[in-house]
Amino acid sequence: MKTLLIKNAFVIDPIQHISGETMDIAVRNGKIVDDVKNPDEVIDAQGMLTLPGGIDSHTHICGTKVNFGRYMSPEDMRAGRTSRKGDMHATAGYSVPTTYGNSYRYSRMGYTTLLEGAMAPMEARHTHEEFRYTPMQDCLANTLFDGNWFALQAIQDGDTKRLAGILAWYLSAAKGFGVKLTNPGGTEAWGFGKDVSCINDPIPNFDITPLEIIVKMIEANEMLNLPHSVHLHCNNLGKPGNYMCTLDTYDAIPDINDKRQSLYSTHVQFHSYGGSSWNDFCSKAEDIARSVNDKPHIVIDTGQVMFGKTTTMTADGPMEFNLYRLYHNKWSNHDIEMETGSGIIPVVYRKKNLVNAIMWAIGLELALLVDDPWRCILATDNPNGAPFVKYPEVMALLMSKEYRDKEFETLHKSTGRRVALPAIERELTWDEIAVMTRSAQARALGLIDYGKGYLSEGAEADIAIYPIDVDSTDPARDYERIINGFSTTEYTIKRGEVVCRRGTCTLEGNHSTYWVKPHVSPAYDMSKDAAFIDGFNRYYSIRRANYPVGEEYLGRNVCMETEASI
Amino acid sequence: MMKVILEVKERHKPNLPIEAECITPKNFLDPEREFHVWKGNKELDITDIFHVRKDGTAKSAEQVEITIRGDSSHIKRVGEYMDGGKILIEGDIGMHCGNFMSAGLIEINGNADSWLGREMHGGKILCHGDAMDYAGSGYRGEKQGMRGGLIEIMGDAGDFAGETMAGGEIIIHGNAGDMPGVDIKDGRLTIMGDCSRPCGNMSGGECRIFGTAYDMLPTFRNEGLTAIDSVQITRFSGDYMSRGLGTIYVANCKYMD
Ligand SMILES: [Zn+2]
Repeated sequence: MKTLLIKNAFVIDPIQHISGETMDIAVRNGKIVDDVKNPDEVIDAQGMLTLPGGIDSHTHICGTKVNFGRYMSPEDMRAGRTSRKGDMHATAGYSVPTTYGNSYRYSRMGYTTLLEGAMAPMEARHTHEEFRYTPMQDCLANTLFDGNWFALQAIQDGDTKRLAGILAWYLSAAKGFGVKLTNPGGTEAWGFGKDVSCINDPIPNFDITPLEIIVKMIEANEMLNLPHSVHLHCNNLGKPGNYMCTLDTYDAIPDINDKRQSLYSTHVQFHSYGGSSWNDFCSKAEDIARSVNDKPHIVIDTGQVMFGKTTTMTADGPMEFNLYRLYHNKWSNHDIEMETGSGIIPVVYRKKNLVNAIMWAIGLELALLVDDPWRCILATDNPNGAPFVKYPEVMALLMSKEYRDKEFETLHKSTGRRVALPAIERELTWDEIAVMTRSAQARALGLIDYGKGYLSEGAEADIAIYPIDVDSTDPARDYERIINGFSTTEYTIKRGEVVCRRGTCTLEGNHSTYWVKPHVSPAYDMSKDAAFIDGFNRYYSIRRANYPVGEEYLGRNVCMETEASI
Repeated sequence: MMKVILEVKERHKPNLPIEAECITPKNFLDPEREFHVWKGNKELDITDIFHVRKDGTAKSAEQVEITIRGDSSHIKRVGEYMDGGKILIEGDIGMHCGNFMSAGLIEINGNADSWLGREMHGGKILCHGDAMDYAGSGYRGEKQGMRGGLIEIMGDAGDFAGETMAGGEIIIHGNAGDMPGVDIKDGRLTIMGDCSRPCGNMSGGECRIFGTAYDMLPTFRNEGLTAIDSVQITRFSGDYMSRGLGTIYVANCKYMD
């Protein structure tokens, strides 16, 4: 039974309403406890900002899509190589690093929990195998349902309970965590060379629209009492004028969960575009933020873009084809049988490119214009907007108007006429940054009940101690110190063990995979449903009995059981 | 002038590859430099693998001549990023010889394994024996292979010679395998012997085949007879799967039945 005492920590823990108190934190056996006598290890955190471990609620780090990004970009593999050192394995890659690369670099920034944003259930094994080699973080996987034929059929039949039964079966089978919709209907249409422009377009082969998919999925998701809400990548990503589609989508979202949001809308920067073409492209972040401010049942993450090289990867196949036609660079396109698809394109975001500069500004505008930080999460849709190692820079930009203005000076000179950013005075506080990088994620993902995102008795001892003295640091002026301080923790603690010290990872962090298992009544148990079994064996290239991911793929894991109302 | 002789020692398991990217003329200019090579995940001193002899002094890479002796058929990445000087390999050489080289000469008396001169920018590689697959190509997923310089292979080449080639010249005196010049964008690929399915998705550059091209792709347009060095040869433009801006000259061609 290992014990640890962190003394004199300067704690910000928004879930517990602790806003900068100096206190001791006691840990026994991986959990936070009231007190420990004669601790095995003592850390003096005097003058150091101490937060619950960081949580990324939308990132792409593991799975077939990520791996193909590695495969098709040897130039990315050559960037960011580190050799084996001490307990640390060799790593390679910058925007799509190896699993250890992801894990070490997140750990040095104080992140202890990661949600893979898009896992095709049929290819779940690969994701779980990579989770096992992401040793410093707990991992969860959003599971893709945007083009699932059984689900689309149930929606067309108006049978939401059956839809819920289908979601339940796939989530348990794939050992997934949340319901992800990527360009619902559009990815399916792409299988036939088409796309949808917004929520009211019909989908080929089914007599339904994206809007029906979104609303029915939300209803089904809540029937299963899942920890997380539906996680939506809206239709029409990345096109000028798409903000109207985003607003229409938000207007149609029902408010049906009183504990958390009913919809998590991801990488909203890519969905906040005005104009009718790239020539009059402009920011509509104000309109989007206003809509979000009016709707307490919607949580967003920003999908911030930062300048430099990266790789875009998404299940949104038609969107990646459009990017390919723009750049004529490498392109991967992938179809996943009855379920979804994907595409991958390397990109470079440039300061002197007007469109890229506007994208950068939109992400910041969203973070500054959504009033409630609990409903606006900081993320880059790693690596789509930027590799996650840029997070400290994003934090500094949000905390310092001076830094924003300085960066703005270096952009394409027409940017000012297309965005609202220069007029925004708001500078986020320490508490707000803490919310947007861990507490809001814990709440939106429903992980507070599982001891994540806070530091009181009973919580998992996932703790990030940063070499930042809050009392003597003015974030508005000392933005370099913010960047450096959030880039490398003094200590990152995972389940009560120091896993990273000043950037050097020491040992593996007893990491777990979290997955959901909704219990449904026998009538909605798809493993006994004749039509489901028949359709499965007829249309999949894999037998239903061979489909579920066995627990042996998971290693240490936490099964989150829920009682469904069906 | 500096002469460096690296003689591969008798090895217990000679098939285990050794990664030796430190072997370039420039690196021997620094008398203090330590040379490490890798066997799997073990880092070894160069003297664990080679007898090393150094004679004379040099001020620039151009004045350094390295000779590799003994069974070097599993020594990989020799001459990677080489930017001048000479490497003479008396026997065979392992994979990735001359990766990214920009200047100087690598001469191989025996055969070369795959990826000879991968993504090279300049300089010359002369291989007196055969070269395996992917000579002068790009790595998997790379958009551009060889961008400059010359690779001359006196024997045969394996499959995918000059894949994604984007400049420079490759001359193969024997036969080439399947799909030489696939995705070629620029530069010149010459095959004195036979090959099959040349230059799929060609978007620029030139390929000359003085033997027979088997399974010629139907997406190239026959532009009629012409002559190169008084050899009667047929000119094709293509690949029309791409923009059709490349040229293939073929002495004999056979389409798939
Ligand atoms: Zn994403």
